[in-house]
Amino acid sequence: MDKAPIPISSAKQPTAKQPNKSPSGWKIIWREIVRDKVAFISLIFLCLVILSVFGISLVLDQEQIVSVDLFSLKQPPSEQFWLGTDYGGRDVFGQLIIGTRNSLSIGIIVTVLTGLIGVLVGLVSGYFGGTVDNIFMRFVDFFMILPTLMIVIAFVTAVPKYSIVSFSLIMTAFLWMGIARLIRSKALQEKEMDYVQASRTLGSSNLKIMLVQVLPNLSSIIIVTMTLNLAANIGLESGLSFLGFGFPESTPSLGTLVSYATDPQTLESRWWIWLPASLLILVLMLSINNVGQALKRATDARQRKG
Amino acid sequence: MTKKKPVNARSLFFPIMMALTVLLAACSSGNGNEESSPSATTETATPTSSASASPSASETPAAEDGLYSINDFSNVKKNEGEAIKGGSITFGLVSDTPFEGTLNFNFYSGDPDSQVLSWFDEGLLTWDKSYVYTNDGAATYEVSEDGKTFTFTIRDNVNWQDGKPVTAEDWLFAHEVIGNPKYDGPRYDSNFTNIVGMAEYHDGKAKTISGIEVLSEKKLKITYIQSTPSLLTGGVWSYPLAKHIFGVMDVAKISASPEVREKPIGFGPFKVKSIVPGESVVFEKNPDYWRGEPALDEVVLKVINPTTIVQQLETGGVDLVDSFPVDQYPDNATLSNVEFLGTIDRAYTYMGFKLGKWDAEAGKVVPDAKAKMGDVNLRKAMWLAVDNDQVGKKFYHGLRWNATTLIPPSHPEYHDSTNPGVAYDPEMANKILDDAGYKMDGKFRTNPDGSELVINFISMTGGDIAQPLAQYYVQSWQAIGLNVQLEMVEFNSFYDRVGANGEDDPKVDVYQGAWSVGIDVDPSGLYGKDAIYNFPRYESAENDRLLAEGISEKAFDVKVRQDIYKQWQKLMVDEIPVFPTLYRAVLAPVNKRILNYAIGDGTNLYPYQIAVSQDKPFVKE
Amino acid sequence: MWRTVARRLVIMIPQILLLSILVFLMAKAMPGDALTGLLDPSIDPAAMDAQRVRLGLNNPWHVQYWDWITQAVQGDFGQSFRFKMPVSDLIGQRMMNTVWLSLATLILTYLIAIPLGITSGRFNDTWADRLITGYTYIGFAAPLFIFALLMLWVFGFHFGWFPTGGSVEPGTEPGTVQYVASKIYHLLLPAISMALITTVTTVQYLRSEIIDTKQKDFIITARAKGASEARVYNRHILRNSLLPIAAFFGYEITGLIGGTIFIENIFSYPGMGQLFLSSISLRDFSVVTSLVLLYGAASIIGALISDITLSIVDPRIRIK
Repeated sequence: MDKAPIPISSAKQPTAKQPNKSPSGWKIIWREIVRDKVAFISLIFLCLVILSVFGISLVLDQEQIVSVDLFSLKQPPSEQFWLGTDYGGRDVFGQLIIGTRNSLSIGIIVTVLTGLIGVLVGLVSGYFGGTVDNIFMRFVDFFMILPTLMIVIAFVTAVPKYSIVSFSLIMTAFLWMGIARLIRSKALQEKEMDYVQASRTLGSSNLKIMLVQVLPNLSSIIIVTMTLNLAANIGLESGLSFLGFGFPESTPSLGTLVSYATDPQTLESRWWIWLPASLLILVLMLSINNVGQALKRATDARQRKG
Repeated sequence: MTKKKPVNARSLFFPIMMALTVLLAACSSGNGNEESSPSATTETATPTSSASASPSASETPAAEDGLYSINDFSNVKKNEGEAIKGGSITFGLVSDTPFEGTLNFNFYSGDPDSQVLSWFDEGLLTWDKSYVYTNDGAATYEVSEDGKTFTFTIRDNVNWQDGKPVTAEDWLFAHEVIGNPKYDGPRYDSNFTNIVGMAEYHDGKAKTISGIEVLSEKKLKITYIQSTPSLLTGGVWSYPLAKHIFGVMDVAKISASPEVREKPIGFGPFKVKSIVPGESVVFEKNPDYWRGEPALDEVVLKVINPTTIVQQLETGGVDLVDSFPVDQYPDNATLSNVEFLGTIDRAYTYMGFKLGKWDAEAGKVVPDAKAKMGDVNLRKAMWLAVDNDQVGKKFYHGLRWNATTLIPPSHPEYHDSTNPGVAYDPEMANKILDDAGYKMDGKFRTNPDGSELVINFISMTGGDIAQPLAQYYVQSWQAIGLNVQLEMVEFNSFYDRVGANGEDDPKVDVYQGAWSVGIDVDPSGLYGKDAIYNFPRYESAENDRLLAEGISEKAFDVKVRQDIYKQWQKLMVDEIPVFPTLYRAVLAPVNKRILNYAIGDGTNLYPYQIAVSQDKPFVKE
Repeated sequence: MWRTVARRLVIMIPQILLLSILVFLMAKAMPGDALTGLLDPSIDPAAMDAQRVRLGLNNPWHVQYWDWITQAVQGDFGQSFRFKMPVSDLIGQRMMNTVWLSLATLILTYLIAIPLGITSGRFNDTWADRLITGYTYIGFAAPLFIFALLMLWVFGFHFGWFPTGGSVEPGTEPGTVQYVASKIYHLLLPAISMALITTVTTVQYLRSEIIDTKQKDFIITARAKGASEARVYNRHILRNSLLPIAAFFGYEITGLIGGTIFIENIFSYPGMGQLFLSSISLRDFSVVTSLVLLYGAASIIGALISDITLSIVDPRIRIK
């Protein structure tokens, strides 16, 4: 049963070519993305955003951007301030760049960390099965029932001072279970495969089988899940900042810029403060999702575009 | 309307929670600059008697360069048109959370609840513009020769809304409940401990409070341990508790009872008709109100989010609000259907310097001679370095303004307007630091002994400009070569770290706080050596002397008391354990159809007089 | 099956207990407590301390926890310090608002998802399908809080079609038609805002489900037998595709929980999400702990309901 969301262009042509994942999975992924124009444009866009944001923020003086200027409060866009200034006289464009960098960094760190933990737990649990699996899965079950948003809010309140890294760790602590479950179920299937049984009888160590043989076969699904998670994590971070449980203003993020819009006057008459950040979040999420969906199709032979 | 919050007069310093922001941040309006608030102006600023004070020329205060001044605001609504009979108005309670619903003066703790309460209940005593008790209220009082014994007489026609008379027993009962160890509200304070026999009663050593005596159905006598002028400015607990209703309940359960939460009772001009918990209350008039039958038939109170105030005002969704965010004022100053009232807030923002620690055992402050901020030259330089005048103009459009002393102009009798405080002068700041031996070493100055000087500054989050404001101060200090590190913390952590629980965080050197001061001027609760809220942990013999004299018997003479506090304000400007940064004012928009309404104290306008000139609110043209 | 359900319910108990310890520890780790906000210099610090002792705030956490949990299992979740009323009553007041909001959102979600999903799946690759998939892509990417903010601004402020706060008009009598109408009017905009975002996954799912079913053998057979197109869709495809969707509603609960926190905050709608945020900042711990537990229990039960319905709908799926 195929429950994968369908691509936008939805030229669904089940021209199954290779029944199994071929060793050249990466090539297929690449080919698939290049063929899917929307995904390809999204990918290029993403790369551009990441490069320019990290590039420009190297040049920008962060201290300068968050410093307050009494004589240029709430200015509309001008040559000096491309996107105007906020109520502290701070350059919104600079904040947008730094904010995007911070939001992306957190998103990426959290995605990578949750990916690592999830894959590790899932792989071990699924590969060994039995008691190990049972213990791990009870643990995962427990984390699954947590109302994540509320717990993260409570946690952030309890930790009075945090940096990008510790904030990412808090988020990671409550977000790794989904991927762990997925990898576990795949690993369970995989270990029944002939090649694993063969290696076992040949006396390969469990560690070697897991890392060298099982893991590569799961790599594409890991990539897909992590890409989609990246979008979700960026969304969660900006949501937390929006509610006021993210970063302080001196560390701008996309969510803090959007949260300025809760002031009706900013919302109505100072669009340059919140609109660019809102649009950027939207476009970033769209692009990441597009790429993710394309990857998903690439790994699911039946949906490939050819 | 004499809006008396039953904040216990005596102390009434509440910290201003920036976290709950908009509520309070809302109150600001102010003078353009400090020089313009000498006594003459202050009188207009807190205009007292009813109609007059309005600077009639400009009903909408004119703005030059987007600047406003509290002096252009009246605290009394201009009456236009004839009152119609009856009518219904809507009062907007500005809050981003629902109100708690502890609807009894003896138990409530949040400001939103007190807003609800003030429509259907009131204190037995009223006060004038100087916050001194008058004999115009529901009870009158006489003081004995020695100033310790008060005899109160409740007027005969003062009745609870269920028809039962308000009696001296009820008043005694309020004291008994609050003094009961099982009492769960926040009222048991120095007003009570100052009553003869209260401590024994509270500790269970006595069955009755020996200092309170019921003389007759309507007469009560209270004897206080210490006589101070503060007793007359809110030192008496004047909110009775209906004994015929609450007398049968367990004290610990009263605050949760339906008689407090769902069908609350009072003796005010309106009575509660229906409540949607946390959201809205509908009041109907209490025709038997002791001052006379209220003009309005109905008052609807609803909670409105700070973000929707303007929209609600424009459409007539609300006629009045309890507060208005000052930063939204410039864009709405010309709203055609409302008039903005304004008055000086009893509050100030300040910068505090940590000079010692709190000794919990002894219950007193312990100054530390070697504290980082111990040098008065350093503190003075930091005051000189900040341009509060510009801060008020730029961030608050002149509706908050440079503060000079620690007694705000909301207390015109005691605020020393001749004391200029310390004005912005960065060159002088540099000079003082140079002279005191703080030498520049690279980008920043070192201590006189050559060691590195890093000053840790904490400030509260919440409210839009909290962060930029704190950041501005840091930049000002860096400009004179001081390496100040800012940390923004949320309300609870903030007070935890400055020492609200007695455990001061040694890493805090400077902090920015705000106090809302009580109607009594006595500052010992904030600067006395045995006050835990003396966060700077400042102590000096001169300070002790002045604070003690300010509440001594000779201070019953207003002139003497003024002089004492004038000296104290000067002492604080010289020693700078803290320095005030901004005074603020309250703005209150009122729909033009509302008549007989005022904000502030001693206006002789009461809620029962509020009327409307037409059936429906004016809407924006 | 009922044995497995019972077993799942039993497993739930240690889970909830663990959750309660976690939340309790975090609450205690937060700086300050409920009394921190009561800075009043006229109150003797000793009196404050007495209050703390009375409330047990000075005890070590495990003692406090034990006191709390022993009460909680008897249904007494303690007093809200701020509201001065039993937590269960307080939550009861707010819970109905959140329940109504969630219910309205769920109904709207399906009202939107089913026609869109069916159109999109039945007529895939037409312009209508492209329009709908385009919407689902944007809806999938758009953060709820940004969308809700815009909805509030456009329909609440700009056009003034909907109220911008509260759950009911003041003064309406509970039980009357006006009261119910006013309630619905107040929750309509928040519910629509949330539904328009949450519905997209269901639309996507329904669409691919229908496209999938279309190519199944039994449909092809039915067509071959000459069944009309309408009959094929109504009798065969829809039944097969809709049932799993209906069963998913339990899982939706988890998503709604997160959503209502944002929505209630943005629309100042007095429900549990708003209560949670304000209780966190005022350190009203008993409320915070109880709310998290309640939400935890709700998502467990939601998942259980879904598992059960799924196993009834589709015998291939067995719950364990």
